[in-house]
This record gives sequence, structure tokens and C-alpha cells, in this order.
Amino acid sequence: MKAPFSPYLDALAPKMKKLVELLGKSFAYVSVLSTDSVGFSVYVSQTDKGISGQNMTTERGNVVRVWRDGQYSEYAFNEITGSVEALAEEIVCQLERQFALLKLTGTKTYDTPILPDEPLELFEEKETGELPEQADMKGLVERFTALSDRGMETIPHALDCTLSGSSTHISKMFVTKNRFLRQSYVYAEGSCWAIASNDEDETKEAYQGVSGCGGPEILDGLQDVLEKMPKLMQEMLSSEEIEPGEYEIITDPEISGLIAHEAFGHGVEMDMFVKHRALGADYLGKRVGSELCTMHEGALCDNSVTAYVFDDEGVLAGDVTEIDRGILKTGICDALAALRLGVQPTGNGKRENFAHKVYTRMTNTIFDSGESTLEEMIASVKFGYLLEGEQSGMEDPKHWGIQCIICRGYEIKDGALTGKVVAPVVMTGYVPDLLGSISMASVDRGVMGNGGCGKGYKEWVKVAAGGPYLKMKARLG
Amino acid sequence: MLKHIEEQIKALGCTIWELREETTKAWEFYFIRHELDQNRITELRSFPVTLYRPLEGGLLGAASGEIAPTDSDEAIRKKLADIYYQASLVKNPAYKLNDKPVASPPLKELDVAAIAKDFITAMAQVHETETEFVNSYEIFVKEITRHFRNSNGVEYTVRYPSSMIEVVVNARRGEHEIELYRMFESGTCDGDKLCRDVEKALRYGKDRLVTEPTPALNRFDVLLSTDDALQIYRWYFAIKANTEMIHCKMSDWKPGKAVAENMTGDRITLKAVSTLQNSSQDYPIDKEGAEIRDRTLIRNGVVESLWGPRQFSQYLGVEDSALAENFVVEGGACSEAELRKGDYLEVVEFSDFQVDPVGGDIAGEIRLGYLHQNGTVRIVTGGSVSGKMADAIPTMRFSAETEQYDTYVIPRVTLLEKLKITGAE
Repeated sequence: MKAPFSPYLDALAPKMKKLVELLGKSFAYVSVLSTDSVGFSVYVSQTDKGISGQNMTTERGNVVRVWRDGQYSEYAFNEITGSVEALAEEIVCQLERQFALLKLTGTKTYDTPILPDEPLELFEEKETGELPEQADMKGLVERFTALSDRGMETIPHALDCTLSGSSTHISKMFVTKNRFLRQSYVYAEGSCWAIASNDEDETKEAYQGVSGCGGPEILDGLQDVLEKMPKLMQEMLSSEEIEPGEYEIITDPEISGLIAHEAFGHGVEMDMFVKHRALGADYLGKRVGSELCTMHEGALCDNSVTAYVFDDEGVLAGDVTEIDRGILKTGICDALAALRLGVQPTGNGKRENFAHKVYTRMTNTIFDSGESTLEEMIASVKFGYLLEGEQSGMEDPKHWGIQCIICRGYEIKDGALTGKVVAPVVMTGYVPDLLGSISMASVDRGVMGNGGCGKGYKEWVKVAAGGPYLKMKARLG
Repeated sequence: MLKHIEEQIKALGCTIWELREETTKAWEFYFIRHELDQNRITELRSFPVTLYRPLEGGLLGAASGEIAPTDSDEAIRKKLADIYYQASLVKNPAYKLNDKPVASPPLKELDVAAIAKDFITAMAQVHETETEFVNSYEIFVKEITRHFRNSNGVEYTVRYPSSMIEVVVNARRGEHEIELYRMFESGTCDGDKLCRDVEKALRYGKDRLVTEPTPALNRFDVLLSTDDALQIYRWYFAIKANTEMIHCKMSDWKPGKAVAENMTGDRITLKAVSTLQNSSQDYPIDKEGAEIRDRTLIRNGVVESLWGPRQFSQYLGVEDSALAENFVVEGGACSEAELRKGDYLEVVEFSDFQVDPVGGDIAGEIRLGYLHQNGTVRIVTGGSVSGKMADAIPTMRFSAETEQYDTYVIPRVTLLEKLKITGAE
């Protein structure tokens, strides 16, 4: 079925068009992004259960962007109490107060050209299975309860087993003098998280998730996830500390995605180029990885949790080849950064929600597949680890350092898995060294979209990342 | 509108509920160097609601949602009906909502424009050089008003300022340039402190340019002298004493239990406090309508009392608990100077220092450290620190001097003995 566009936004459209027209008398460029995204979140464990009509992407509100004399300003609001004329007047009045403060403090403007406003009308409702607002919540809670109960029976030494899921039906409308864009789509994500205690009274965790562009039916995948949990937990309970050093490693698609995201995802967000915060700007056209390293980024790259049609600045979604056989080709760019750099935007201007500023943000960041099998890759390792399970990652685009905290590593000796597991694993290194060491890539690939990505330590948005199994060298601790 | 929503809740037959009206006015300014990238205003109002439903077998259902100020009457009725139905699906052991009357503190008169001006002015006064300078910064100043009501008649309104400034600084030496990232949160702007903190980051930036690879130190003492230490106090000690963590088996702490065995170092004393000057969360009544009182959570290394949400606190038999926002860790036995004697690695910049609250794993990549060894100091980068809190607590020491980081007052320096150091050589 199609994910229907919000009737609320359809009804709001004439008012927002009028608002654009009225503000156009004071500002040379005016846009409005209006959102109406509904959804739910549910969790069930042995110790607590919860249900809510909110999750990280549910929202309803509007943000106006205006340009005057080289300066961009925004006004976000979620209430319209009077006429559109009164609202326009209020927006102008409030922004003038800010301009007065900026004048008082002698603040200079980072002069930026006016955004283009090419005529475009677009209306797209993407396919979904179910809608979150029509989900059988009773059935979902019952299924999660049964899975949690089964987890307690099958997961060794389990203290608790939590099933969680969320889904959002996103509707967004972008209005300027010449553009009128509307889109709606649905995504869902779910996870199974278990904790257990070993003989030494140490608490260990195991986690697996599912996600995708679609409705609550995606959460059915948690049944398969749960079946993997007993083995995962057994491995975590018997895990040892890793001996620090440099090793041959094979990353599973989730860790490959984490590296893609941290290494050259954040590193080529071109609003960072504007601020001279990314080394990538100096390496365009240069080698940053091995011949086996090709990386794509864009909302069109995969039908994931972030597979939108247009971004939060009304720019159509793209598919950018960031790294082509080891050569850094380009970055990703929001509309204002593109103006400042004299390049085209790539459809990567995203907001945490309507009340937040746009930044250049990732969508799907994915390594291309190769030609090896996982078995061939393991057979080629003299001494190293197969790394699985993302815990967290952090980038340093200015210095190209990378930190990935990984749930577990499976020891490989003389081309075979030994059965020894180490956990957790801290992988650190210099990005070009890491990507330059990629020597094998598997034929298959996976894309994961659970959780959120911050810019620094804020501005959380949905992203997805993935790739094939990759063989490389890295420092582990 | 709050009254209208309350009437609609009662019309459903719902007799147990919590309702809030949250209003946020924010002024934001984004700078590239010292030029304005963008200015923003947000004016938001929302109505979070939780409906409860007594269920068979002494259970209680609960579900939550949010009413938008633009919701029509029909939309409000449908949302509330959906929430009330969903409350019947979620079956938890029963507990009672707060019922002790609370007095609203006097509403503060706030001026986001004046606070924003202080931030802009302070940043203009930071001492920069040609080689150490501010790259960019983002100023967020909020006035938050929360009006709370529940079905037991508890009602209050609080208003408080909540500010944040994110600062990125650069340091350059020839062609080599690095950056350091800082996020400072507070109630309003303390301009002098902000300047000091940014200038300290600039000094670290200068040092970052002359580093050598961290040697493989194997087991070595690590000294934390920045807000990275918060990870230990906030995400381990405070969270382990949280009733939700305990009920959900992510913590096995209970009153009377020592936080570690065989403690030979400083024994931690941690308090939840009702108010903390210039905290970004400085209000005396929590989001569930409970008065936040001063409470010693850990005294001399032994858990004394717990804190947390009403639901889980009641499950554990903890009365008078609250969702505290502000915490104070008492200083240790030695001065900072005494703790700095001997060999240690002082890490002042991690990529992302983390302490896992469940397993207690410690991990972080070193971006900038000072290796104090054999009477010399080497500036190092690369490699990582890892360890476990269970191993670190018995010999952990911290300074008598303390420092405030927004909602936490913690010892100025914290010394963790014999953590694992993976070198970068």
C-alpha cells in the first residue's frame, strides 16, 4: 500500500503558501518546511513494559527559512493561534529583535548567496506494508512478550531480555514561491537486547536489530533475531580480554558500515569543508583507500530507514560515489554549504526535527561489494579477528583518527576460527591506513539502520550504513 | 488547553493520569569563526500525557503520547482514546502516582536575548592567536516553562534557563592543523568561565600539534582532569544507584552494599541535590511531581539510598525518591598536587570516552595525553585506554578540589590505577 500523505499538512498547505507570500515582502527568499510524522515505540522486558505514541522521529511543526542581505535566519513554531497575517508579522518582529542584538554586538554576517528557487512540484507516497498508526498494538505487545519469555528460556544465564520496536509514518511538505514538494514514507526498527551474568558475577550484554523502509511488519524479523541470541550471549559470557596490538581483521557488514560512517561519512560532510573542519577537502582526487574501497552515500542508495525523496531543504535525494576504487571523488552537501562552496547540493540537508537547524548529514553510507567469500577471507588470515556487533563509533575528520567500540571479536588462527571470543574490542587507527589496508571484500552486503547519529554530541537523525565483509589491518585494544 | 485536555481525559473514564504543558522559547546563533552563519528562533508548546489503567491482578497499565497545540478536538479525543486503550496492553505491577502537594517556586523572569548577548560578548573576548583560534561555535539559549498536573491533585509550574554552547577550536603549526571539540551546558552564561574553558582548549590544541605516539604502556595509572571524568560519576556511580537500573537488573546495587570490595583508595560520597547554581536543569520538582530533596546516594563507598522514577522506586520500596537532575561528588583525601606526584598518563582529549553502566567497561581512544614518567612529561596521542570499573574502583583516588560541569560537581582530577593502555607506536 501507499503511505498516505498527511491530511493535516494538505489542509495546512494554503496557509503556508500564504505565509511564504507574506514573508516575501520582507525577505528575498522564503521557504517553509512543515512536518506531521506519527508513530509509536514499544518495549517489553521481564521487568517492565512501555508503550508510547512518540519516538525519535515523531513531530508536528513548521520552520521558516528566510534570506536578506546575505544572512539566513530561521523561525520554528508549532502553533498557529491567529491569522497567517499575524503570524507573518510576529515572525518578522521576532527576527528583527535578533537582528537588533546582532547589530548591538557588532556581529558580522558570513555572507552567503541567495538560494535558487527553480520551479518544481512533487508528490510521492512510498510503498509500505502497514501503517504505524494502524498497527495491531495488542498483537505486537503479545508477540514481544512471547519473544521475551522465550529469550529467558533459551539465553544462557539471562537476567532479562528486552524486545523493542518503533515505526514512524513520516509526512513532510516543502513550500517556496516556486516549489511545492510533498512526501510520505514509513520506516521501522526493532531490537532484541539481553543481559546475563556469568560465574564471575560479571554482567554481559548482547544486542541485535532489524530495520528498514516499511511498516511494523519489519518487526516480524525479531523472531529470527531472537534465535541468534543464545549463541551470542554464550560467546559474550565466555569472552576474554584482547591482547592489544595490530591484527588482520575481517569486519562484518555492520562494522564495515560503522567504518564507512565514521571514516568517510562524517569526514566528507561538506558543511565541515566550509568551516575547514575536514581533511577530506584537501584530498579530493587523491587516494584514501585501496582499489577495493568504493563507497556510496545517498538516500537513493538503499531502501532503508532514511530513504526519503527530498531532504529538509527541498533538494531531491541523491546517490553519490564518494570513493571510487580508493580515490576520494566528492563529499555530500546541504544547500547552504553548497552555495558557499560553489557546488551542487546532494540532498543531504537534514534536521533532527523541524525545530532544529539543517546540517549536512548522512543517509545511507555503504561500501561496495567485492568478489570474495567470507570463507575465503577467513582462510587467508594468519592471526586476527572477525569483528561483529557495533557498540559505538567516533570520527575525527580534521585528523582522520577513528575509534570504533565493537561488541566482540572471533579469533582466527592459520585460516580458521578458533572458537575464542574477545570482548569488547576498541579499534583505533588512521583512516587512510585503515581503508588502504582493505585487501578483500565479500560478494554479499548488509545495511543496518538502528539507532541514531549525532553531529558532535547532538542533532540526532536516522542514518543507515553497511557494506560487505572487509578484510583489513587495524589496531585493537 | 491544559484544562480542555484534562476534561477529555476524564470523559474517557480515566482516573489516573499525568499531564504537562511544556513551553520552550529559544534563541540560537551559529558562527563560523566569528561571523554569523545563521540566527534562529524557536517557539514551541507541547502537551505530553500519560494515562494509567488499573488492570486485573493488581496490575497497572500505562501509555503515553503527546497532544500538539494544533490538534483539533476530534484529534485530541482520538489520541487520548488510543493512549487509554494502549494502557490496557502494558501490564506492570501497580504503583501510585505522587500525591504529596508541592509548592511552585516563584516563576523566574528570564530574558533569552540578554543571556544570548552574554554568550556572544564572551566569545568575542576569548584570547586567540594566529595559530590557536576559534573555528566555529553554536549558542543555544532556552527558556523552558513546565506546568504539571496529575490526577492526585499535584500541580506546579517551574521556569528555568537552559543554555548550551558548542565550541570547536583549531590549532595550526605550518600545514598541520587540528581541532578540539567542546560542549558546555549551563543555566545562563558565565562569561569568565566560558573564556577560561575555551582558552584552556586552545592551549590543549597547541600541545596536540607536538605529540608523539603513545607508547605501549600496558598497565598504567590514568588521570582524568576534564569532563571525561563525568562518564565515571554520571554513567557509573549515579546510574548504578538508580531504581530503574536496579529493578531492570542492570545494576545489583542496594543500600548497604559497598561499590567495590577491598577499597584502599578514596571512598566516594555522592549526593543528589535539589538545586545547583547555574545548572541547566535547576528546578526543585521533578517531571513526575515529586519534590527533589538532597539525598546521599553513596556515603564513603557504601550505597546509602537510591533515586529514580516513581514507578521503580516504589517497586523497590524507596519512598521520597525523585528524578534528581543535579549531583555532587565530595572531594577526596588528597589535593590535586599530591595526586599528580609519580608516574601517570593524564588524558585530556579522548575521541569518545565511555563507561558502560551495565558491565562497567571503560574505553576511549587517546587524542591528547600528557605522559608523566620518570620526572619528564611527554605529549602523546593515539592508542587507547581500557579497563573495568570493578577493577578500578578499589584503588581509585580523586582530588579534594572539585569542579562543576553543568549538573555535576565532581573532583577536579580522578586517578584510575593500572588501566590498560594500547600504544600507537
